[in-house]
Order: sequence, then structure tokens, then C-alpha cells
Amino acid sequence: MNPIAAAVLAAVLIAAVALFGRRSILIYRLIRMGKPVARFDDIRARARAEVVVVIGQSKLLLRMGPGLMHAAIFWGFIVLLPTIAIAMIGVVDQHATLPWLGQQGWYALLVDVFALLVLAGVITAFVIRKVQRPRRFAGSHVREADLILLLIAGIVVSLFLWHASQIALGINEYPAAWAPISSLLALALHHSWTPYLERAAVWAHVLLILGFLVYLPYSKHLHIFLAAVNVFFGRTRARGRLEPINFEAPTDSDVRFGAATAADLTWKQILDTVSCTECGRCQDVCPAYNTGKELSPKLLIMALRDQLLSGASTPIVPNSVTDNVVWDCVTCGACVRECPVGIEHIDHIVDLRRNLVMVESRFPAEAATMLRDVDRASNPWGKPQSDRAKWAEGLGVRVLKEGEAAPDVLFWVGCAPSFDERARQGAISTAKLLKEAGVDFAILGPRESCTGDPARRMGDEYTFQKLAKNNVRTLNEAKVTKIVTTCPHCFNTIGNEYADFGGRYEVVHHTEFLAELMREGRLKPLAGERTITYHDSCYLARHNDVREAPRELAAAAGRVVEMRRNRERTFCCGAGGARMWMEERRGRPINEERVREAAGTGAETLAVACPFCTVMLDDGVRTTDAKLQVVDLATLLAEAVDRRRARDAQVSSADG
Amino acid sequence: MTVLVLMENNEASLQTLTLARKFGEPLRAVHMEAVQPFAPDAIAAILAMVADDLDVSSVFAAGTDRGNDVMARLAARTGLPFAANCIAAEPVDPVTVVRQRWGGSLLEDALLRAPRALVTVPPYALRVTDAPAPIDVDVKPYLTRIEPADLQVQVTGHVVAAGGGVSLAEARVVVSGGRGVGSKEGFAIIEELAGLLGGAVGCSRVVTSAGWRPHSDQVGQTGTKIAPDLYIACGISGATQHMAGCKGAKRILAINADAEAPIMQNADYAVVGDLKEIVPAISAEIRKLK
Repeated sequence: MNPIAAAVLAAVLIAAVALFGRRSILIYRLIRMGKPVARFDDIRARARAEVVVVIGQSKLLLRMGPGLMHAAIFWGFIVLLPTIAIAMIGVVDQHATLPWLGQQGWYALLVDVFALLVLAGVITAFVIRKVQRPRRFAGSHVREADLILLLIAGIVVSLFLWHASQIALGINEYPAAWAPISSLLALALHHSWTPYLERAAVWAHVLLILGFLVYLPYSKHLHIFLAAVNVFFGRTRARGRLEPINFEAPTDSDVRFGAATAADLTWKQILDTVSCTECGRCQDVCPAYNTGKELSPKLLIMALRDQLLSGASTPIVPNSVTDNVVWDCVTCGACVRECPVGIEHIDHIVDLRRNLVMVESRFPAEAATMLRDVDRASNPWGKPQSDRAKWAEGLGVRVLKEGEAAPDVLFWVGCAPSFDERARQGAISTAKLLKEAGVDFAILGPRESCTGDPARRMGDEYTFQKLAKNNVRTLNEAKVTKIVTTCPHCFNTIGNEYADFGGRYEVVHHTEFLAELMREGRLKPLAGERTITYHDSCYLARHNDVREAPRELAAAAGRVVEMRRNRERTFCCGAGGARMWMEERRGRPINEERVREAAGTGAETLAVACPFCTVMLDDGVRTTDAKLQVVDLATLLAEAVDRRRARDAQVSSADG
Repeated sequence: MTVLVLMENNEASLQTLTLARKFGEPLRAVHMEAVQPFAPDAIAAILAMVADDLDVSSVFAAGTDRGNDVMARLAARTGLPFAANCIAAEPVDPVTVVRQRWGGSLLEDALLRAPRALVTVPPYALRVTDAPAPIDVDVKPYLTRIEPADLQVQVTGHVVAAGGGVSLAEARVVVSGGRGVGSKEGFAIIEELAGLLGGAVGCSRVVTSAGWRPHSDQVGQTGTKIAPDLYIACGISGATQHMAGCKGAKRILAINADAEAPIMQNADYAVVGDLKEIVPAISAEIRKLK
């Protein structure tokens, strides 16, 4: 044992831990300052997320190249963790090692292999960053990342040099045969200076690790510690649900009208900001960013972090985040779905909107009509409620009267199909198919009102809750148990959000319900000739995992071709997050972007399962002159059922 | 204690007095025209000086665009909190106010903790009461004390809005074009007809998306809401989002190649055909009549 080495190591270790600790405490205090949010329930689901997302690297592996690169470094770090202790012992005493583990051949093999994997990972990362240069890094701290990669490379190279020189000197504690890479290196290290190299390498290794440790909490690489924590505290319940505001809180100061300053953020939101590793996956999939708008989910989170760390108590908007950024979001959830460290961008956006709308009364002026009309007229266009069942005239659909109990299924129509000419067709087809299959159902007619989704996504929680409570009362009075709806926004709101207001129902999207009727043989379709590409609605495919039932319907109606961005990686139509009620003044129109992608498949029909997607994409077809017909899946299925009936009639008449 | 009121020549200012009287006697007035042309910072500066000299309990103004503009500047320069658009207020400590949010759809109860209350009253929320008018403050001595910086913001001229001086929202006739017009240049015939009828030009959302017309011309849910005597919709299919903007129209004349377009059901008069022939034909007829 070398007492001088021990003393130097102790001093450096204490200094490093002190520097690391000082910054860590600051960040811990910052997080603790956050407003409360319930994230300690459902420990099982949290543990599962930890295994899948952190250990399994599931979100990173969505992109195979960078994913494998990261997984190699991450898994390598886990395997190499004990070598930190081994190296520190080696610094103090050349002839000692960690008891047991330091002498194991299999562990030496693991270290050899994983150290090489880490090195390969670092090189790959450099190639991605320097040669490939993906757009997702735009705005990230690129130099910081370079330094981190160099540090990691240094740590692994010094480890190899240390092991190799140990083997060359014959002072290795583990059987050398188990460390093939180090042994190979050792062949080149039989020199008079090898003993010095051995000392230099082990010291370099330990000092680099301690330097790395100190640097981490001052850089974006804090995610090494916080990603696992942030993933653990992520949402376990429905992704499409927003946290309600309790307007009946005991005192006024307990009511949080969204976020005006950094002090209004919840602890999870603060944790989000310091977990961000600036990888830009969110930015890469964001419909707003990809159509040249101001919003980048990554830059949003970085701006919030910068404001938090600066300690500024100024309003977040417009000082750190511009109004445009707040209103560009379509709440499609692509960023949330993609984020490997569990950041929930939508919650940040909605909290900023809540403050702007409810406290500042500052929002795109054209949306005021919608907010006023959902409140006063119970629908966003201010149409007379008495006209709500007009679309169903002549279809023989039962309108549930007050005091009557609901049948098996309540068909919740939604505002767009009730009042919009283009959105209507999907509802008409659904009603026809339900009748065809002999389903006992009814609609609420004039007693149905907007679910409040557009108001809520705008940040007008107050109006939303008024509508929600009203609808829950109507539904509960009619003893509704099962609801079918054609609108993914109604579907999400009633299914995921009404439970917070005492409304618990089985809510099924019409595509799921019709697919089930088809499987039961109650609807018999015959596929036609046309090629269909199906556009997944964000509130179905991403927020609510409804992805395969719509495809069953499409396949029953024709030949299906997929767009590049499909299922959970779908690209928004541009209407979500109340964007339907705002003008798209910045960048290129989102709907046209999506229509071009659909047209690129060569399909003749663009199938949709959402009344808002119907309107947006149909507009996009008109403005781009695409050769596409936008049709709801229910309509396609109804045609397929008619086709089958016509063929059967032909066959039987031929038989007769 | 004295109450100071910023007066304009309108009904809203008289309504404001109703609430101001609850806050004390006597009422003193400074007039918006004290500084000509209108310069909000200069008025705010005068109000600040008068309020200090008379040691007023509160300052009131009508919640008009100019009233709120001046009061916000007064609040900023004095560091006092400001309650805008209050329909009720009680002069207790702290002052309790009920104020309009959301253009009147939501009422908020709030407390105003301030050594001097700054309040505006929205137009047509209160009745005018019969009571002596406030006594005017002699502003002459104050005018000389206005800093040049306070005259930086002032009205330098009035510009009549584009579109022949007829604003879309108030026009009695609106001629709109949709996708059927075909191009930016295609709007010449729409403009011609609107000009002959003394009306304004409108358009649908698709047209603004395509960049053929500015957003200010858009009629619809997210555009301008119009209520003309006659609405002529050319090549507009009549999507719900568009109809939400023109439901106030007394008469709708739709010109469309597609007889099945939704607007045809909503129109009082419908012409099925090519707007590029029909619109110039109407213009020609009107010219003959003139």
C-alpha cells in the first residue's frame, strides 16, 4: 500500500464528491420547490417502465442506429461500474483488488467486451454527430456533448491500457486468458516503461471518472442520474388525460391556474427540464417544428430549464418562451411518445396556456369565438342545439329523451359530425352499420354538448369543467354504461378525463366497435379494388393505443398501403390541441404536409377515423390538388357491406 | 376623499361616474382631450400628478380602448395595481371588485390591495345616475410639466382601412370568393363586383391558406364574423367553419358550379354555374343600371 497515493486519492475524492454534492443539492432543492402532483401511486407500473424504458432502452431502440449506440454505452457503464472501486483500490495498492469480483475471470471477460462496446458506441456517436449531423441536434449544446464523449473515450482507453499493462507486468489478479482484448494489447507492452504506464493509466482512469462525475450535474449529461428518476415518475395512467385544476380548493392561493413563472411548475415538470439530454428526438417528430414553426419541444424544455437555473421570477411567456411557441402545439403527443427520458411536454404547454388564457386572457383572438360558443351554445360553431340530431333525420335513429334509460349502447356523436357537412358522413355510415348489425343504440340529440376538449386543450379549464360536469350529469342520469363515439377527441375526453368528474363508462371508438361486429360476423364486408392508406389520428393511435382495429376495417374495404409515419408514429393533421380553431399563420400548413405523404403512397383513398382529420385533410387535398378521396372508415366499411350484399344477391339469382 | 375620473365624450364615461361616486366626494375630472393629439403617456402623467396633488383615494376611467390604455400606463408609472373592466367595487380595505373576464362571459371576484385604487368600468355594464357632474381640474399648469418622453407615443394620423374604405365586419354587402375563384388574379372580378356594390371583399379559409388573399379578408369561424344585408359567396362550398362567420348575413346569394355544395342549401338564392361567367355578367348589368 502506498500512503501518499492513498492521501492524494482521498483528497481528490473528497473534493470531487463535494463539488458534485453542492450542485446536486441545488438541483434537488430546485425540484423540491415544485408544486405538488400525484406521482407516487401505481408503483408496479412505474417499476415496469423502469425495466422497459431504462434497462431495456425501449424508446432509444426505436431508432436502431443511435439506439444501439446508446445501449452499448449504457449497458457498458452498468457492467463497468465495479471497476471504479477496483481502480481506486489499484491506485492505492498495485497488488490488491476488489475481493472476489476482482479475481473473477468471467467478470474480466465482461469488462473486456463491454469496454470495447462502449468504445464502439463513442465512435458511433462521433460519426452520428460529426458526419451524419442530424437536424435534431439543432439548438443543442453540441460542444458539451463532444467533451462528454471524449471523457468517456478517455475512461475506456485508460482502462484498457491499465489492464493491458497489468497483464504485461504479470500483476493481474484475474486469469489473463479471460481478458482477450487486454491480453492482445499486452503483447505490445513488454517495455522498461510499462510499470510507469500501469501507474499512469490507473491514475488517469480514476481522475477521468471523478472529473466526469463533477462535470455531469453541470451539464446536460445529468440525465445519467435523472432519466431513471424521471421515467419512474412518468404518467402511468392514460396518456391522453390532463391533470385537472381543483377550482374548489380550500383557499384561492391553492388554485394553480397553470404556470405563469418558474415557481408555478410542478416538481415533475422541473424534473423534466433537468432530465433533458437535448437529443432532439422530440424536435425530429414535432409537426409544428417540421413545418417551419417556432415551436421545438426540445428548445421549450431547455428554455424552461434555463429560466429555472437562472432563478428569474419573471413571467415565462414571453421572456423565456414566446407566445407563438405556446400556441404552435397540436398536443399530438409525438414528442412525449418519443422522449427516452420521460419528459411530458404537453403538460408544460397546457400549463402555459392555462395561465395565458385564464389569468392573462391572452391567446390567438380567432379562438375566442370557439371558447364563447362552446360555453354558450354547447358547440364550437354556435349552432342551435336543437339542430343536433338533424344529421340523423330519416335514418331511424332513436333520440334518448329525458328520463329514459339508455339502451346497451349510447352513440355519442360529437359536434363535428352533428353540424359539419363533411364530418357528418362518418356518423351516418356508423349509424347505418349499427342498425345493420342489430345493435340497440340511441343518441342524446340536443342533450349532448361539446365534451370541452377544445376548451381544455386551449387552456380554458374552467369552461371545460363546466361542460364536463354537465355532460357527466346527463350521462349518469340516463344510466349510460357503454359509449361508442366516432370522434377520437370525445373518445379520449369521456374515456380518460370524465372519471375525474364522476363519469365512468366503457368508451369505445367506432372503429373498434365495428371491427368487433365484423369479427362476430354481424357485419359481412367484401373488399373492393381501391387502394387505401389509413391516417392514424393522434388521439387514437398515440394517446390511446387504438391502431389495429382501424386497419382491420381498411383491409376489409380494400387494399391497404401504409404511409411512412404510421401507427404510434403518425403525423398530426394539424387540428389537435384546439389548433382547429386557430389560424395557421406560421410555417407550412401541417395538413398539406400529411396529404402529400398520403398521396405519395399512390393510394386513391385516404381513410380517416376522426371528424377533425376529415375536415383538415380534405382541405389539404383541395389546396394541394392531390388525387385523393378523404373517407371515414365507417363509410368504407358500409360500402364493403353493400358490395357483399350485391354480390350475394347476384350469386343467389344466378343459382335460382 | 377626492376621486379622480378620466372623462371621454361618451356614454361609457357617464356610466363610470356611477361607480366612482361610491368611492368618495368630491369628484374631479381630467378630460381625455386635455392633450391633443391623443398621447396616452402624457394623459397618464397628468393623472399621476393631479392624483398626488389632490391626494385622491382612487382614479377611475371608462374601460374603453383608450381608457384602459391610459390607465395601464398610469399603473406602470406609479407602480400601483390596476383593476380593469370592473362592474362593481366596494371602497373597503382592501377594495373588493367584480370584474369582467373573457369579454364578459366570466365574472371574477378580486381584492385590490393598493394605497390608491385604479379602476376602469366596461361600457354598458352600469346605468347612468342623476347626480352633479364632476368638477374639471385645471390642467394648464400640468401641461407644461409633461416630459418630451411622454409624447413619444401619440396619434400622428388616421389611415382609412384598405378595401375601399368599407370594413368587412361592417359592410352592408360582402362579395366573397372561395377556391372556385382559381387564383389570386381571379379575384379581380370579385373586387370589381364588390366595388360596384359599395361592398367589401371576403374569402374562405382555403383562399388565405393558398396565399391568394390576406387573413384579414377571411370570413369564418377563425376569421371575420360578418352581418351584411347581402352576402354573395362565389365558388365557396360553405364548410361549417365558413358558415359560422356569415350566419349573421340577412340574404345569401351563392354562385357555385356544384349544385350539391353545402352552401346551396344555406343560400336564399343559388346560381349553379361558372362564376367566371356569372360574376362579370352581374357587374355588367349593374353598370347598365347605373
